[in-house]
Amino acid sequence: MSRAAVMRVLAALVLGANALIRVADAQAPATAIVHAKLYTMESVQPIEDATIVLREGVVLSVGASLEPPAGARIVDASGHIVTPGFMSAGTQLGLLEISSLPDTRDYALASGPLGAAFDTQYALNPNSTLLPRARGDGLTRAVSFPDGSPVAPFLGQAVLLRLAPDPADLLERAHVAMFVKVGGAAAASAGGSRSASWILLRNALDEAGRYKAPATGVAGPRDQLLGRLDAEALQPVVAGRMPLAIVADRESDIRQALRLHDETRLPVILYGGAEAWRVADELAARRIPVVLDPTLNLPGTYDALGARLDNASLLHAAGVRIAISVLAFHRTYNAGGGARLGAGLAVANGLPWIEGLRALTTAPAAIFGMSDHYGSVRQGLDADLVIWNGDPLEPASAPLQIWVRGVEVEPGDPRERELARRYSPLRQSEWPPAYR
Amino acid sequence: MRDFAAQPYPSTYHPLPRRDTLIRGATVLDGAGRRLEAADLLLREGKVAAIGPGLVAPDGTVIVEAAGRWITPGIVDPHSHNGNFPTPYTGEDLLHTDANEDTDPNAAQVWAQHSINVQDPGFSRALAGGVTTLQIMPGSMNLFGGRTIVLRNVPASTVQGMMFPDAPFGLKMACGENVVHSYGDKGSFPVSRMGAIAGQRTAWTQARKYLEDWRRFARGDGKPPDVDLKLDTLAGVLTGDIRVHVHCYRADDIAQMFDMAREFGFSIAAIHHAAEGYKIADLFAREGACAAVWPDWWGFKREAFDAIRENAAYLHAAGACVAMHSDSNISGQRLTIEAAKSVAAGARAGIRIEPEVAIEWVTHNPARMLGLDDRIGTLEPGKFADVVIWSGDPFSIYSHVDQVYIDGALAFDRSDPARQPGSDFELGQPSAARRGAHAP
Repeated sequence: MSRAAVMRVLAALVLGANALIRVADAQAPATAIVHAKLYTMESVQPIEDATIVLREGVVLSVGASLEPPAGARIVDASGHIVTPGFMSAGTQLGLLEISSLPDTRDYALASGPLGAAFDTQYALNPNSTLLPRARGDGLTRAVSFPDGSPVAPFLGQAVLLRLAPDPADLLERAHVAMFVKVGGAAAASAGGSRSASWILLRNALDEAGRYKAPATGVAGPRDQLLGRLDAEALQPVVAGRMPLAIVADRESDIRQALRLHDETRLPVILYGGAEAWRVADELAARRIPVVLDPTLNLPGTYDALGARLDNASLLHAAGVRIAISVLAFHRTYNAGGGARLGAGLAVANGLPWIEGLRALTTAPAAIFGMSDHYGSVRQGLDADLVIWNGDPLEPASAPLQIWVRGVEVEPGDPRERELARRYSPLRQSEWPPAYR
Repeated sequence: MRDFAAQPYPSTYHPLPRRDTLIRGATVLDGAGRRLEAADLLLREGKVAAIGPGLVAPDGTVIVEAAGRWITPGIVDPHSHNGNFPTPYTGEDLLHTDANEDTDPNAAQVWAQHSINVQDPGFSRALAGGVTTLQIMPGSMNLFGGRTIVLRNVPASTVQGMMFPDAPFGLKMACGENVVHSYGDKGSFPVSRMGAIAGQRTAWTQARKYLEDWRRFARGDGKPPDVDLKLDTLAGVLTGDIRVHVHCYRADDIAQMFDMAREFGFSIAAIHHAAEGYKIADLFAREGACAAVWPDWWGFKREAFDAIRENAAYLHAAGACVAMHSDSNISGQRLTIEAAKSVAAGARAGIRIEPEVAIEWVTHNPARMLGLDDRIGTLEPGKFADVVIWSGDPFSIYSHVDQVYIDGALAFDRSDPARQPGSDFELGQPSAARRGAHAP
């Protein structure tokens, strides 16, 4: 048993009732996936005829033609491709049900005092219908980030999700990144110029750096712009423990982000980055990763006049780490399929195929500090695994079997499956569909 | 008698310079349900002249070797906003666009052709995705959104230069949430679905009288009615000269539209979006209306919550006419991939759809929707020579469009920058300039 698994069992033991379940799990037989064409993500070439043994939520062993342990449940992958479960580096999963209905949206603030302090973790809905669909498309991890606050240029703080079936297991970690947005449409909230966005961001970091938790009844300086909650929320950012995720497309804004990084040494993740290819070498030199949408090839806004289909390929060639978050509603409603299509399109336009897979696994894992438990298939890591019916980067492909942290979940979208069953042309009835 | 479908702003389209061309040795999906291996396709004087193995080209014919590549008819996008919702988008677009005249729920008098910005970069991107014909739609904020326009996807300095000669007009109608929200949120009519239907029935009733007044005048009975541009469009529908395209999601809403068509004696060419089409697939088959659908858009509003990926396959299995549409300048560059997603969902549900059938969803069937299947949509001899050569299987994300022919002219060539048209807007933009070692 790996150290991680031991730690998990120990943690369970101190959690009372849970411990009984965990102990029972530990005695459960292992699962062995055999005859897999396994892309571990640790090398370019697959392991042919691979065996992957999982138990207690983690991978116990991996290798070519390994003999499964006695008593293991055998799953025959029949030569199909197996990959880690995928990860989208940018969604609003758990924060959104029907986007046209404000009652069902929790990812953005239109008013109120919160900016940097807007932490989305308290809104997460594990029973959202969007979660099983994303999971059933092969997505096992996701960043869910806020998309608006009244305190420019802050959007708020993102959370890291694991799309496990247990509702209590959804939140992997809160406070994973502080999101800010600059540029065209976002400038309005800063007063009308992106320059104000940068000035406000720099000021906020400056004020947060000087911020001391006040003794009871003592206010901050009278000219401090930052509220107490926002200043406190920025403490891990100014301490360099929480990355600053800067949403920007235009080259000038990307260069401002580089400059801010150079001056503050704060960790930065670039989101969007339509024109990031123009700054590829500079991003690579600073090891700033880019989370991008490979489908963007139109001047969709005046900030994205340089958008092109080989953005991902050019960034990779320069040595920039890339992950995927497609825009519009595919980002969340089709978080799994949308991310796969994005990676596939990047590959069609020059990105090596294995890098398309890495943009959905090891790259976001590294960006968000998850590599010790997620991203590749290796002994001791979480058993997030997908058996695919074809090339996972082809939009027509789909998962055959999926495990999230060792728990097998059903492929496809359960609600969609119920509707499809009810209205299937292959099964007719004299009774109205509601009886089927 | 007044011609309600007259075109006083007529097409000036001329085919691009062209040469007779023989494409040899490709896998052909002809759009008429056939798949041919190692087949040749001869394009002569802008028409498909012959298709089959071992064709012989007359002297002077350009020969294109396409062994290992795939050929399909030109892709037809029956629902695009290229030109009337052009990039780049700005904050202004939140206030007003050229796609919706949402000042009156009956905007039957507006024509999409009067909004088109021919310099929308979306046109050239769609061309690089194999799109040869597009229907540009008014938006869905109105009960009657206005007339649609069908364009050839060739660059021109005026919309007249892009208009598909002698293509029928369409009328965009809408039901459901968008209309009710756009007016209801302002507190004006209609604020409900029943109000929306009443608004449409009232307009059709007026149009019926308007048409009867013109017919009476044509019989020499009295004075001509005052010309009414709104009622012109609706009367053109009642005479069968203007095709009806309805934006509608829910099964129960769609059924209301079919009954409305019967009440006033017109037919519906297509229901667009049809998120719940699968719930009434047999009704689509009986009515003969096409369903123009997305493969996987769902959930973004209440009436899209039951959209399932099996939608297209279920409609197809019931015998309905299915077309993929984009409503997007991004997915509109990859309509074959959209079809591939729907085919895959069908296969998972036990409905097998072969590539030679699926290609009809993006060629022949949208051409039927537009009333143009006598001219485009298949590679049968005599049809317009709209052809796409793909580097591989058109349903694979890794395949590229190598060449696009429109009326027999090479309108796009992936290997020849001189045959890659671009918008004036994108000229001289420093941030788009290809530079340095990374230039392709």
